[in-house]
Amino acid sequence: MKKRIVAALCAAMMVLGLSACGAGNAGGQSAGQSSGEDKPAASTIDVSGAKLMSDGVLSVGCEVGYPPFEDFAEDGTTPIGYDIDIITAVAEKLGLKANIINTAWDGIFAGIGVNYDVTCSAVTITPERQETMIFSTPYINNYQAVVLLADDDRKVESFNDLDGLSIALQKETTSDILMSDYKSTGTIDVQIVANEKVTSCFTQLQNGEVDAVVVDSTVADGYINSSDAFKIVYKDESEPEQFGIAMAPDNTELQKAINQALAELEAEGFIKETYDYWFGATAAE
Amino acid sequence: MKIADLKKYSKQIIVVAVIVVVCIILAALKPGKDTLLSMTSPEMQKMIDADKSSSRKRVTITYNSMLIINYVSLSTSGANVMSERYVGFLGKVYPADEGAMKVVGQMVNYSYRMLGIGENLMHGAKLTILLTTLTVIFGVLLGTILALGKISKKKILSKLSGAYIFFFRGTPLLIQIFVVYFTVPGIFGFAWRDFFNAADTEAVYKGAFMAALIAFGLNSGAYCAEIVRSAIQSIDKGQFEASKALGMNYAQTMTRIIIPQSIRRMIPNVSNEFIMVLKDASLVFAISLMDITTISKNIMTSEGSYLVFIPALVIYLLITALFGFIFDKIEKKFSVYE
Repeated sequence: MKKRIVAALCAAMMVLGLSACGAGNAGGQSAGQSSGEDKPAASTIDVSGAKLMSDGVLSVGCEVGYPPFEDFAEDGTTPIGYDIDIITAVAEKLGLKANIINTAWDGIFAGIGVNYDVTCSAVTITPERQETMIFSTPYINNYQAVVLLADDDRKVESFNDLDGLSIALQKETTSDILMSDYKSTGTIDVQIVANEKVTSCFTQLQNGEVDAVVVDSTVADGYINSSDAFKIVYKDESEPEQFGIAMAPDNTELQKAINQALAELEAEGFIKETYDYWFGATAAE
Repeated sequence: MKIADLKKYSKQIIVVAVIVVVCIILAALKPGKDTLLSMTSPEMQKMIDADKSSSRKRVTITYNSMLIINYVSLSTSGANVMSERYVGFLGKVYPADEGAMKVVGQMVNYSYRMLGIGENLMHGAKLTILLTTLTVIFGVLLGTILALGKISKKKILSKLSGAYIFFFRGTPLLIQIFVVYFTVPGIFGFAWRDFFNAADTEAVYKGAFMAALIAFGLNSGAYCAEIVRSAIQSIDKGQFEASKALGMNYAQTMTRIIIPQSIRRMIPNVSNEFIMVLKDASLVFAISLMDITTISKNIMTSEGSYLVFIPALVIYLLITALFGFIFDKIEKKFSVYE
């Protein structure tokens, strides 16, 4: 218990509110991993210099419960999702076996180098986080998006159009920070309804408690894919956020190896293919 | 109040009076908002002026005035991050960006936010107190009805009350809140905020508060039922018999003899229930309301400051002390029956 509190404390300080964390349950995407599983590792990248907790295994901390990035399949034990596919393919490139360790978002960064080698859990690369950990090259771009009910014909062309509305968002995420800033600076007058889970936001929208949801565009894409009750009306493309794989600051060898693996996967078209599988080809930029 | 009573409390009265006078003096000497804002650096002032004509404003100005001390913070978002903080106390303005004054500024800001000053009733300490008080009142009323039902000789009444108590004590409050707020409107196709004026921007919080109050009240009713029942049944059987001998009927016996006596025996347990609800009130985080615990947790995660829990504890203790005092008085008042 004590350990957990300390871990939560450390993580909270690191997070400083900037996060792309959360959980959800869009459902509908219970199919197995997309591809790349049985490809023979043609050229294994050398990882002899990297620090790993156990030989031949890349252990990955992941908050499983944030579809479509990571979620349990319907059997309740197999992690599936975009992040899982990416990290499995990366591990394969490195000649390692990926071992996914499910962990709570609170304290996820405190576990790097303690309970697992890397964190691959829809982690936004931020300057604050870069002070305490290092990141791979980004493997996906994310934007802040506004989601409305499908039959709502309100026009939203920027966040300023949310003036006077009630919006739901997930607590302590980039969406929360952004909208709180719009409100506290007096740019717009908006009622912010902050929830612990991103799923609560969508339930509130569906029940009519709020007018709109502000959320990561990638998560929104996942919801739109699985339900036609919602629609994305606005994506703030001026400020993209990038997700990266996080690791301990002294593990530069591993960072180099992972970056090379990601570059190879990109070149092979694997990343694009996986993206289309999880987020739908229409959602691709 | 009699003179003798006043004399008994004379020491306390003097202490309170001195504190009040000191506070008034300190409050009068505290610098005003404009004085604090005039301290801002020229760069920040430039940003503020630029904001006036911009549709996307960048500067957040926070002004917290708490009785004897006040606090201003200016911070900017976007590429050009700046922040300045000032504390005003006793006619002087202190920069609060580092050192001891930073801690003082944080304490003022955190307490201000947790007390919910300048916010509506559904925020911070106000929410906690309002929700707890209404819940316990509702709970005791409902609990009395349920208790009378449970000890009633009518089988159906007794079974129904028993089932209600079994259900609400046997399921977690958090799930009951979820069911009231999400499931019930989902099934019956209404929204909690529709009960309020659509133009009212606070409607969404009012709706959530109403749902929370219903869930808390129904839950507390079940617990209070057992408190009331045990108090009623602890009254000596001879009392019932004596009332009967005097020709009173059941209703008269209950309202005139038994319940007045049982109130005193209920108070300690109701006071317990009150304190439980006070702390359970933090469960409203689940339906997007912000009570003291939720606000302190948010501050902790967004600013990484563990100091926030100290004012949180103090606020909780003050509320508990206040209501403990009230319950003590009620108990004394009703002990005349014994």
